[in-house]
Amino acid sequence: MKRFLTLTAIGALLAAPVMADTLRVGLATAQTGGLATYDSPVIDGVHIAVNEINAAGGIGGTTMIELIEKDVRSDAAQTSIAAQELVDAGVSVLVLPCDADPSLAAIGIVSSAQIPAISTCASSPTLPMIGGDYMFANFPGDNVQATVSAAWAREQGHDSTYIIYSPDSQYTTMPLYFAEVFEKSGGTVLGQDTHSIGQQDFSAIATRIASLEDQPDVIMTSAYEPDFPSMLKALRAAGVTSQIIGSDGIDSPTTFSLGDAGEGVVFTTAGHALDGNPLADFNTKFEAATGNKSETVFNAVGYDLIKVVEAAVLVTEGSTDPQKIRDAIANLEGIQGATSTITYKGTNGMPVRQVALIQVKGGEREYLGSPSPDAAMIPAPRMQ
Amino acid sequence: MELFLQQTANALALGGTYALLALGLAVVFSIMGLINFAHGELMTIAGYVLMYCGIASVPFVIAVPLAITASVLAAVAMERIAFRPVRSGSGATMLVTSFAVAMILQVLFQNLISARSQPVLLPALLSDSVRVFGLVIGVNKLAAIASTIVMLVFLDWFMKHQKTGVAMRAAAEDFAVARLMGIRANTVIAGAFALSGLLAGVAAVLWVSQRASVDPLMGFMPVLKAFIAAILGGLGSLRGAVAGGFLLGFIEIYLAAFLPPEMQEFRDPIGLGIVVLVLLIRPNGLIPSATLKAEKV
Repeated sequence: MKRFLTLTAIGALLAAPVMADTLRVGLATAQTGGLATYDSPVIDGVHIAVNEINAAGGIGGTTMIELIEKDVRSDAAQTSIAAQELVDAGVSVLVLPCDADPSLAAIGIVSSAQIPAISTCASSPTLPMIGGDYMFANFPGDNVQATVSAAWAREQGHDSTYIIYSPDSQYTTMPLYFAEVFEKSGGTVLGQDTHSIGQQDFSAIATRIASLEDQPDVIMTSAYEPDFPSMLKALRAAGVTSQIIGSDGIDSPTTFSLGDAGEGVVFTTAGHALDGNPLADFNTKFEAATGNKSETVFNAVGYDLIKVVEAAVLVTEGSTDPQKIRDAIANLEGIQGATSTITYKGTNGMPVRQVALIQVKGGEREYLGSPSPDAAMIPAPRMQ
Repeated sequence: MELFLQQTANALALGGTYALLALGLAVVFSIMGLINFAHGELMTIAGYVLMYCGIASVPFVIAVPLAITASVLAAVAMERIAFRPVRSGSGATMLVTSFAVAMILQVLFQNLISARSQPVLLPALLSDSVRVFGLVIGVNKLAAIASTIVMLVFLDWFMKHQKTGVAMRAAAEDFAVARLMGIRANTVIAGAFALSGLLAGVAAVLWVSQRASVDPLMGFMPVLKAFIAAILGGLGSLRGAVAGGFLLGFIEIYLAAFLPPEMQEFRDPIGLGIVVLVLLIRPNGLIPSATLKAEKV
């Protein structure tokens, strides 16, 4: 009996995550499948941040970070299985995939285990709304991005727009936010079309737009690879010359390799590297660590994610208690990440971050600025 | 009227690509009763060859034949390594083998190349458009229509006037009798795979020239469309595959073009509903194969 008690006591000590010297972070992200385009660069950034912090002796010089990685194959069911496994492994923070839909699949597990979960780069503002107190996003919200790009379009003197969206996911409905802001600021919405994710052929939609009597000044879509290049090429081939506005999903090397068809495309994303700014510093670190140039801002977004976790653990003074870390994240303010400053205080889990406007010029990115959106214009999150 | 003609040109181009894809499945099915779900991975291989050629600044006119050759060689290798050992197995065995080949290849692409999609550099010409009889047609649409015609003419000639082609037709009709006539099973089956690799390679060039990127899972969508088109046309029948491909292309484009805006969200279910309707009226497909049951050798 004594031996049993001793063993139980040792077991209980081992199982208790509180005040340990190691912070376990569980990564349930998509390293394969459709979301790998986003999740895999984010996780590269996560590794750079973790290696940097651990090399300096851990968070605050005491708490080392241990990553436990699982591939969820871009599958919602697999995400919830991986989340459960990670919870069982005693993680203090969970990292979920770059899309609201698989992240939400894990929400039951996250809420009942009361462990804070951060999506790598999902940008749907409904994610923390549905996800509850333990769900955080790590990217500028869709409604904020759409406000920034619509304001830019209106400033450029564009009066009419046509939107192409897909009801298949939360993210691909961003053009509906765009249309709302565009109309609120005095523009006209000429029409809308829907597509499905993975659709190969956009010629029917392109022909319809080309045959409109009044050509739209702007066409807005949040389609991403491989749909976006197909759509863009179909529109240009049909003779549509409107300004195309996209979103962070097209912040990938393909967009810059489309030649004439891609020229002039404008999109919103999480940040832009300028000489000496934190993102440029991060890119230098990335190149030193991996030997390759960072090709997408999603690398830096991964670095931001760990910076948020680090800041939260500094607030808890090294405690790895999930509840304390959650409370700390929810009250973070002005944390300097690689792409922007990040504030969770006063939000429901959708961080306040900068939105950068980028234009494709000669196959390179041209920075148009990071205008602050007018808070009154930001549409309320839309439930799909 | 002009809008209708314009959309018809779009439908011809898409339908042509689907026809090539469905033919690739049908050629193999007609001979050995196997629906090769790894057909899409042949396209992915061709896509990656185009990508590497772009990186190495190989001109597009050389990259295209290289990509198609790679797809043909991969198809022949696939038959030799994966399908020949299970050729006398049941239909289910071969089907599962084809899924396994597809998955193994996808994992290899993910681990050896990249899980992320990679840009493919394409000549600017492909994004241009030309005016034909008052219609604006994209160069890649014209290329799709032209290569479909060339491939169909070539296939017709090959099947009618080439020894291997004639042997393939004979084998499709009755493999046992064909073998008694001295036709070598290995040659015929390898020939069928080479032909399907050729069709996959051409379709891949058309497919990639639209999307400008290639990723490990790229092959899934086209093989799904090809499967629908092949069933619609009549499994195992080559003419049926062509008819099914074009019909599927026309259904998709006309629905996207002329369905009222509030119905557009239901475009895909309506399209597949029409496919089911066609199959209810013609259960064996539009142009069924004379010998539906493929034999094992």
